[in-house]
Formats: sequence, structure tokens, C-alpha cells
Amino acid sequence: MTLAQPSRAALQGLIVYAGFVVIFLFFAIVLWDRGFVTTTNLSNIVLQTAPATVMAVGLVFVLSAGEIDLSFGAIVALSAIVAAVVMREAHWTIGLAAGIATGMLAGAVNGAIVAYARLPSFLVTLATMGIIAGAARQISDLQSISVTAQPFIAIFGGGRLFGIPSLILWSIAALVIGHIIYRETRFGAHVRAVGDNPRAALVSGIKVARIRMSVLVLSGFCAGLAGMLYAGRVQSARYTLGESDLMTVIAAVIVGGTALYGGRGTIPGALVGSLMMGMLSNGLILMGLSVSWQMMIKGLIVLVAVAISLREPSR
Amino acid sequence: MKSIRIMTFVALSMGSAQLALAQEPVTVGPGGEPATPVSELTLSDTEVAEIQAGDYTAAFAWHELYDWSSAVARGAKDEFERLGIEVVAETNASFDPARQQSDVETIMALTPSILISLPVDPTQGASTYAAARDGGAQIVFIDNTAAGFTHGVDYVATVSADLVGIGRQTSLAMNDALGGAGQIGYIFHDANFPVTNQRDQAFKWFIENVYTGIDIVAEAGMADPARIEDIANAMLLQNPEIDALYVPWAEPAAGVLAVLRQLGRDDVQIITIDLNEPAGLDMMTGGAVAALIADEAYAIGVNAARAAAAGLLGRDVPAFLVVNAVIVGPDNVVEGWRASLNQDPPQTILDALN
Repeated sequence: MTLAQPSRAALQGLIVYAGFVVIFLFFAIVLWDRGFVTTTNLSNIVLQTAPATVMAVGLVFVLSAGEIDLSFGAIVALSAIVAAVVMREAHWTIGLAAGIATGMLAGAVNGAIVAYARLPSFLVTLATMGIIAGAARQISDLQSISVTAQPFIAIFGGGRLFGIPSLILWSIAALVIGHIIYRETRFGAHVRAVGDNPRAALVSGIKVARIRMSVLVLSGFCAGLAGMLYAGRVQSARYTLGESDLMTVIAAVIVGGTALYGGRGTIPGALVGSLMMGMLSNGLILMGLSVSWQMMIKGLIVLVAVAISLREPSR
Repeated sequence: MKSIRIMTFVALSMGSAQLALAQEPVTVGPGGEPATPVSELTLSDTEVAEIQAGDYTAAFAWHELYDWSSAVARGAKDEFERLGIEVVAETNASFDPARQQSDVETIMALTPSILISLPVDPTQGASTYAAARDGGAQIVFIDNTAAGFTHGVDYVATVSADLVGIGRQTSLAMNDALGGAGQIGYIFHDANFPVTNQRDQAFKWFIENVYTGIDIVAEAGMADPARIEDIANAMLLQNPEIDALYVPWAEPAAGVLAVLRQLGRDDVQIITIDLNEPAGLDMMTGGAVAALIADEAYAIGVNAARAAAAGLLGRDVPAFLVVNAVIVGPDNVVEGWRASLNQDPPQTILDALN
């Protein structure tokens, strides 16, 4: 192989963008007269993927630090339910604070066990996923809880600011703030350093345990925020919210160019990955395929995309 | 592909009609609407021809796909084919209300004339189905109705099983199995799921008020189907005189069968609801299962499609349409399977017939 390693790696970073364009063009041509390239449908894709995009931003930090969080889908539901329950009794801002705090608390529990008890995050978050999902069922008694506070619904669901839907603004905010923290701050650099080589990071004075704790709290925060977006969008909270997002978001982040084993990640890539997953679901439905075929084809495309993204540059 | 049927979840989507146990229960719609038998909904040849000439399209936004909802879907698709209506999209929300809302919004890019859907979460139905209503689709709900939607304005009709009818048929099957007299254990679904709650309560009402030769000597709530073996074991140990058990649906009945085998009780019968292969096979091989009660799922789909077509023609359709329930025993297993699911029983059951 004659390509130099950096350019090969850079090329791999561009794959998600190329894949996005290819899939978009495919659907645009095939579904030309079936509603795919209408403004409504394209904005639907962005609106529908907003919660997943927010979750993906948190996950980029976790994966970059060499950890994983399998509990964020369950945290989404628990945060939304806590917020909805509190909002029944108190002002919506208190419900919002309770919901976000729930997400951060769940993340802090994950982080404390991973960072200070030194247990693998895969197993810790696998276990807490069950605990959190159970808590969401227990608190809600398996019922949906309505969200009726109009300001909350406007801010997190169907509202607009300067004509732009609030869900799109939240996606942009997560992208910009996440990207700045990830690329431009010392914290972001430390996260990547810990994921790349924890021993070297420790020797160079980075507080590895604190970084591990922080990324899981951040993931909990993002999941909590995603829970608010879902609660605002569907105007209720239910224990199934976010459950189906776990694999989709992990796939979006990996396809977007974040390394599964730490050290390398990209927030814009995660956004594009998330939009790509949303576009795939959307396009396959509009093609009129049966549900079974939608699942198989989506799985196949994700497999191809992940295989390309995860290939190590030749040495 | 055969999916797992989890009746528990179907229950999530049902209305909240409460039964007054003092008087004979009646099936009512999610908003208290009177039940109308689907036989009252027909399309004339002229109307069918008009629909066939209309170039209409339809889409499904399912809550989850498994054998019951697949049978409903098959019924609707067959009727749409007869009516010349093209099915343009089908989605599966996996019981996630946010995903169902996304599915409906996505489907509406195709501007179908008809949307058929079982709402995952009726309380938020208004936001889920707003896009379909605003897009002019004729909406027909299965089992439950979106809260805040008005019949005849926002949606055409809701088509469902007759839950009290299922309870009545189940009690009749129990009476037949026991020859009119005996002692039974009553295991009910101990959770706030209107579908199972209404069936359970109706069964109990008919046993206590109509089939008075039968005594309920033990009652136990089942919150978690995974714990059915503990419940059945305790009930049979404390009440060895029990002749038969009512189990709220067929999946936990498999656990009860395991307990009966373990205790060596080949004298206890089981009556339960839904068709499934293990329960059906036990019934056909002389096991404990005496009968299975099933709603006509295929007919729910057929009539949902028909109601939507009537909606396209601007006809008034009753708000709440219900299908019958059938008792499936060893003597009518093939007919029963066809009546409920419009297909033959699994091969193992057909083999057991011979």
C-alpha cells in the first residue's frame, strides 16, 4: 500500500459523508415521485433524529475515552418519566431540572463504579441498564404520563424560534457545543488521551478516573436531554422511550468515524451518522418494503458502513 | 415469519371501559361507545366498484408485529386487494410511541388515502396522528382510539375484539369442560391492562352469575407472567380439589402445564385465551388444555379496511366495531384456527390430528 497512513485515515473519516451522499442520492432517485425529497419529509428526518443526535454527542465522549455506555437508552425513559411525574405536581422548570438531574445522577453512578471501583463499563452499564429500565417501569406503573406544560412542549417539542423548529436548534446546539468541548478544550484532549493510552495519560498527569467519571456523567446528561426532547415531542413519557435507540445511536457514532476502542472521535461525524440512520429508516419505509425487509436491509447497510469505518489503516 | 405473541402488550393499547360486576358486563369502546358487530358494516357492489376506480392507497403504522397483529394485517391487506387499494407503506413501532409518531409522519410523505394503526399510547394519540389527520387520511384504529380525536371528524372507526364476548365464550368453554359443575382456580392478570382486565372480569362474572354450578375456590393475580409457575404451584398445593384453571392467556398456560406435569396432576384442565402452538398441541394430544378462546383477528383487519373504504365514500361508520370470539377445541381446531387467523394450524397440530 502506497498511501501514507494519515491520508488513509483522513479518507476513512470522509467515508461517512460520502456514504450519506450516496444513500441520499439513491433514495432521491428511487423515491423521486414518492415524497422523499419534499421539504416536509427531509425536515421530518432531522426532527425525528434530534434525540438520537443528542445521545450520539454524549456517546462520542464515552467511546473516545475508551469506555462504553449501554444504559443511555434506559436513562432517556427514566429522565422523561421523572420529569413528567414531577411536572404533574410542580412547575415545569422543576420537572425539567429533575429530569436532567436524573440523567446526570444515573451517569454519575455509572461513572463512579467504572472509575473508582474499576469495573468494565460494558458490564457496569449493562447491569445499570436493567436497573434503570426497571425503575422507569416501577415509577410509571407501566403507564404513560402526559406532559401538558405548554412552555416545556414548545421548548423541547413542537415550538419554533425565528421560524426554526426547536428540535433542530437543540441538534445544532448539541453539535456546536459538543464539538467545541471535544476539539477545543483541555477536557476534550484529555478524553482522547485517556482513550488512546490510559497509562500514558496517567503518567502525563491526567486524572484518568475523573475523566472516565466525567464522560459517563456527560452521557447521562445527554440522555436526560434526549428524554426531554422525546417528552416534548410526544407530549408524554413512557418506559419504552429511547429503548430502541441504543443500537441505532452506537451504529451512528461508529459509522460517523468514532473509534470503538477509544482515542479518536468526531462530533460532526456522529451527527451525519445519526442523520444517515434516520434517512435509512425513512427511505426504506417510503419504498413500501415490509417491516421484515426494512430491518434486514438496514442491518445490512449498517454492517457494510461499520465494516468500512472500522477497518484499521494499513501499516 | 412467525413472531412472538405477547398479549400483555396488546393490552397496553386498549380502552379503559370499566366493568360493573353487579350487572352483566357489556363491551364498550374506549370512549364508552356502544359496540356494533362488524356484520353490520357492508359495502355494496356499486360501492366496491367506486372504490376500485378511485386509485386509493393505504398504509399501516403497527404497534408491533407478531402473530396476532400479522393476522390483522393479512386481513386488511386481503380486503384492500379486493377493493383495488394499493398498500404503500408498513411500519413497526416496537411499542415505542415516539417511533410510532415518526412512522406516521414518514408515511404521510406518501399521502396515503387511508391509515390503519393500533395506537401504542392512546393518551398521546393526538400528537401521533395529527400529521395523518391534517394530511387528509381516513384513519381507522385497531383496539384503541387516539385521545382527543372525534369520531366521524378525525377518524372513521375503531375495530376491536369483543372483550366481554371473549369472557363469555371462555366461561362457556369452562362450563362445557366441567360438565356444568366443578371447582376452579382463577388466575387473573394483575396489572392495569384494560384488554386482559375486561376479559378476566367478564369470565368471572359469567361463572358467578350464569354457570353457578362452578365454584371459584382460589384466586390469584399474575403481575409477571414469568412467575406463573410459582402461582399455579401454590394454588394447586393449597387447593388440591381444583378441577380446572382459568389462565388469562396462552403463554403463561405453558408454565401451568409444566407445574401440572411436575405435580403429576393429569386430572386438572386448563381453559385459556389465544391460539398458540404449545397450548394447541397439548390440547390435541389429550393434555390438560381443554379449549382455547380466540378473537377473529383476521376479521378485525378485513373490517378495518372495509371501514376505511366506507370512510372514503363519505359514509357514516359506527364508532366501535367488534368481531366475534370462537371456542377452539380438539373437534374444531382447523376450523377455529381458520376463523381466527385465516390460516391452518401449525403442522405439529395437523399431524396430531391424524
